[in-house]
Parts: sequence; structure tokens; C-alpha cells
Amino acid sequence: MKKRGWVVAGLASIFAAALASTAGAGSSQTSALQAVDCDGTIKLPLITPLTGGGGPIGQEQMTWAKYAAKTLGSKYRLNVQIVGGDTPVEKGGGEAIKVSQKFIADQQVAAVLGPATSGGVASASKALTKAGLVHISPSATDTSLAAGPKAKRSATASFFRVVGGDYVQGPTDARYMIQKLKVKKVVVVDFQEPYSVGLARAANATLKAAGVTTVRLSTSVNTTDFSSLVTRVPNDAQVVFFPTQQPEDAQTFGQQLLEQGKRAKMFGGDGTNNPSAFKLAGSYVSNFAPDISSVPGNAARIAGWKKDNPKASLGSFGPPTYLATEVAMAAIRRACDAGNGTIANRNAVLKYVRSVVVPRSILGGTFRFAKVNNEPVNPKFYIFQIQKNGSYKLVG
Amino acid sequence: MDTFIQLTLNGLTLGSVYALIALGYSLVYGILKLLNFAHGDVFTVGSFIGFGALQLLGGSTDPVVPLWLLLVTITVAAMAGCAALGVVIERFAYRPLRDAPRIAPLISALGVSFFLAYSLQLLFGAEQRDYDAFSMGEGVLFFEGFDIGNVRVPLLRIVIIVSAFALMVMLWLLVNRTRTGKAMKATSYDREAAAMMGIDIDRVIVFAFVLGSALAGAAGVLFALRAPTFASLGFIIGLKGFTAAVIGGIGSIPGAMAGGLILGFAEAYTQGYVSTRWSDLFVFVILIAFMVFRPQGLFGKADIRKV
Repeated sequence: MKKRGWVVAGLASIFAAALASTAGAGSSQTSALQAVDCDGTIKLPLITPLTGGGGPIGQEQMTWAKYAAKTLGSKYRLNVQIVGGDTPVEKGGGEAIKVSQKFIADQQVAAVLGPATSGGVASASKALTKAGLVHISPSATDTSLAAGPKAKRSATASFFRVVGGDYVQGPTDARYMIQKLKVKKVVVVDFQEPYSVGLARAANATLKAAGVTTVRLSTSVNTTDFSSLVTRVPNDAQVVFFPTQQPEDAQTFGQQLLEQGKRAKMFGGDGTNNPSAFKLAGSYVSNFAPDISSVPGNAARIAGWKKDNPKASLGSFGPPTYLATEVAMAAIRRACDAGNGTIANRNAVLKYVRSVVVPRSILGGTFRFAKVNNEPVNPKFYIFQIQKNGSYKLVG
Repeated sequence: MDTFIQLTLNGLTLGSVYALIALGYSLVYGILKLLNFAHGDVFTVGSFIGFGALQLLGGSTDPVVPLWLLLVTITVAAMAGCAALGVVIERFAYRPLRDAPRIAPLISALGVSFFLAYSLQLLFGAEQRDYDAFSMGEGVLFFEGFDIGNVRVPLLRIVIIVSAFALMVMLWLLVNRTRTGKAMKATSYDREAAAMMGIDIDRVIVFAFVLGSALAGAAGVLFALRAPTFASLGFIIGLKGFTAAVIGGIGSIPGAMAGGLILGFAEAYTQGYVSTRWSDLFVFVILIAFMVFRPQGLFGKADIRKV
């Protein structure tokens, strides 16, 4: 009986400690920040998957964030240090909360890049907002984060993203399938995580509204052999919509489709947009960024980035990260100017983010946020078709 | 009917890989009564060694050797590399704890598992690695083969299934028809008595690790020929291999083979006929059901103790 009492007491202590730590996390308010000297080093964390299956995406984002911090430092008169916060996709969105707590406690952090994944934003946005931290994502596209009725948004008012939401991407992809590919039957796969489910739902709704028959399949993000999913793809399906964050999976699924004699074309979302990993000729991918090499004024940027990262290949997740970094640096500069060389409060950065304008942005044109939802004005998505040599050709 | 045949083929392919992994768990457990949780990561190391060997031989599109030799070489390289790794793991992580309470080597195994996974990640990065078997021999592995009804059995699946079964048969012969195999069996029955009969226990244990790890290396290559590999892959695949070993009866070699195949079929049929969403759940429900209702597995013997 005595032993049992100790166990109960132990459990109660653990429970109390857990509650206390939760309460502590919630109370990390804006006042936690001591004034940041704008002449010193300002930390700008990037919360993204740096390891695990989504690691290459995060690593690509990291190279562009560092490149932006380095090349834009003189323009914004800031010494910004990019620091990574690893949130492996396999650990789910909750990992972003743990990582965020570390940055919330860091007095040199005045803004955050990311979280990169929609699940990460949904988990960490509230804690970051309580700490007064603006968080600007270069790639979290789940519709419910920032669009729709305010009461139903899963991200808070201090969440911004420099790319459009899936409510743009899903219908854009679906309309392309309907109008250009003339589809009658489409298989829509999701991976049971917010990015994938949100995008699959958005595309599915548009397809169904247009009278297209859809077959919904769902599998775990840990699945690596898709043989039995492929078996369930009807022989008369024309397209498999496959919104994953791991482009190699799209390649494997496409190959296994061919192995089983299925004729459906693969159609991936922005998460599959990686020419070195997803290169199945005839497949389609959509992306929030155009081919930035064709954007006027980008040649020097790309050359400089390649010089810093000679082994890396130009992907689609990096350039929006460059833009997000530039937006954050512009807002920090304005907060510094308003505070006569110091940032007294994290809310000062938040205050100025909304009005940042980036002319000749890396993604093309002038960038600014829409007032209604903290997203870019007139967000667009682009469709590419994979060519026989593995290159991506802009088709829509 | 075509769907059933295709799913059976899927299950057989996956199950034969699970069986190879399960054999490694069973071999080590049978002799040391140790759940070697690093085994899944040895599998991943094997797939990485195979990938490295493939690149050294010119890659999938432009190999410097014929296709059959390429496949044999990368598999043998992975088996040899993993066998050596097994020896190192046994020597440094398990042998010093051989007489410690059973929880100690178990924790050590978990530590080795994390060490291997994170070392791979640090050394080679987080990105997935694709053998690109699709490009080998201009697609011959995917598009050549034979048909059962309307279902194509591609050469790659034949290679995987035949290789896995050949390795299992070789293991069975080794354990049942050689002196070393008999020594392994004797050690698994009673380590102390075996030692008293003159069997070199250390040698037998090392040999079990060599065999188990080599099989994991082969499984790593066979798996990665069909799906990309990455540093943390071993965790979930290792769990499935462990589940297969439990289903068959951990410690039993025929049990591990049967358990792997049962698991492969269960996964394929669940995905094909029930739900793709619930297949992993179903797999681990099977594990729980066996633990509760038949902990000795299909081929294992109930652990009766004198009280």
C-alpha cells in the first residue's frame, strides 16, 4: 500500500510539473524580450525539417536563408545570424512547439522564419504569438492556417506566409487536370499530415464539383513501399494526385504504377517539386514559385547562391525562404529605426511586417501582404511538366 | 482475381524482406536472449553500403559491370559490411554487458540504434537515396518477367523473392547441417552446458551476429531496390521485422520466415481490401494479439519454468 502511495505521489508530481511547464510556456509574453541592440547580432531562427525525410527541403531553405542574411545585411544595415530549428516531418507538427520554446526564450530572437510545414505552424503559432514573435513561413500552405473565417484559422494573427495557401494550389492543380488533361477519374492520395490532407481535400473538392470521379486513398507518412496502394489505383484513372513532402516517394509511386501497368500520370504538389528526386517523365508538379531563373534580375542572385553552395541544385523551396528572410529583415530594420537603434519589444517587429513591400522580389514582381489574411496579394501557383531529360517545363 | 494475385505478389515481396530481418532478431535472441533493437539500423546501413557500392560501380544508368554482377556485388558488399558492423556492435555494445541484468543490454541496443541512425544522418545527410532500379538495364527489372493472368511479375520482384528464399535456405542448411550450426543450437538451448562441452561461446555468439547482420544487409539492398532509403528508415522497418519475429516465435528460424511472410501478406491485404489508412495499425494489433494470446508465437515453445 505504501509503495502504491509513492507511485501515485510520483505520478502526481510529474503531472504537476508538466502543468507547471505548460503554464510557464504560455506565460512567455512579449515582456520577456530585453531590448535588442540593432548594431549587434540578431538571431533569425528558421524552423524547418533539417533531418529526416523532409531534410533536403529544410537544408535547401537554410542555404537560401543564410544567403539572404549575408547578401541583404548591408541593404538593411543588420547583422543577422540564421539559426536552425529542426522539426523532422516524421515527428509530426508537435516538434515545432519544442523548438519554438527554445527561440522564445532566446533574447536575441526578434522574429522567426517558419515553421516550414503546415503542421508545425498549426502547433507552434499560438506559443510564438504569446511571445510576441512574428513568424513568417516560406512554405506552409495549409488553407486553414490563414484563410477562411478568422474564428476557424489554426494559425494566429502573427503568422504570415510569403506563398499562397492550398485553397489556391489545390483548385489550380484540379483546374489544370480538368481543363488541360480532360480527366474523368482521378485518384487523390494523402499522407495523414496537415499539408497533405489539406491539399488533397482542396483539389478533391474542385474535381468533384466539376463532376470528376475521385478515389481517395490515405496512407502513413512512413510508408515507403506503395505497391498495395498502387494496386488500388483503377486501371481507368488518368491522374494520381500525390501531395507529399517527400519527392522520392512520388518517384517511387510513379515507378510502381508503371510496374503494375497502370496508365495514370503522377501529379504532385509543391512538396514534390524537386528535379533531382522526382523526375518521372510526363508527370506534373505544381509550385508556389515560378522558375526563378527566368525572373528578371535573378541571374546574379542565383550565381551568388551557387557560389556559396556549389553542390546544391536550384529547387523551389529556397527562393521563397530568401523572400521570407528579406521580409523579416525589412521589418526588423523598420522596428530598429522606430526604436532609435534598439528593438524594445518583439511586437515592434510584428507591427511593421504587415506593411513591408519588396520591389523586384526574387519570385518576380513586387511583394506585399494582403491586409485580410497575411498572405501575398494575388498568390499564384504554377504547373510544371517533367520532361524526358528530367527538367521541369512550365505549362500552366 | 487479378487484384488478389497482385496483392499476394506485393505481400510476398515485402514479406520476404521482413523475413530476412526477422531472422536476424531470432538468431540473436535465440542465443543471447537479447532483443537487438539496433538490427533495423543495421538494415539501413546495409542499404547505404549497397548504394555506395552501386555508385562505385558506375551507378544505375551506366554500370561498369553486367546487371547481374552489379546486383550480386552490391548485395555481397552490403552483407560483408553489415557482418563486420555486427561484430563491432557485439564486441563493444553487448559483450561487456553479457552478465549484466537483461535491461542493460536492451538499453545498450537502443543506444546503438540511435547512434547508427544519427551517424548515418551526420555522415551522409538526411536526403533519401534512390537506387534507381528503374533505370538499370533500361528498365529490364521493371518491364521484363512473366504474367499470371493479367498480372505482370516483374524481374525485380523475382530477384527479390528468389534471393530472399535462397538466403533463408542457406541459413537453414547452415544451422541444421554444419558443426557451427549445431554449436549455435546447443548454445541457444543451454549456454553454460554448451561451454562445458567445449563449445567456444564467444565465437558462436559473434557468428550469430555475423549471420544476422549479413541477412539484414541483404534485406537492406533488396528493399532499397524498390523504395528509397534514408537514415531513419530502420526504425519502422526494424519494428516490423521484430513483429514478424514475434509472430513466428522469436528464436525460431522457421518461425521468423513464416512471421515475415504473414506480416507481408497482412499488410498487403489490409491495404488492398480494408484500408490503406489502417495497415500499420493492423500490423501492430497483430503484434499485441500475439503477445497477449500466444506470446511464444506460431513456432516458438512456451517458456515453462520450474517453480
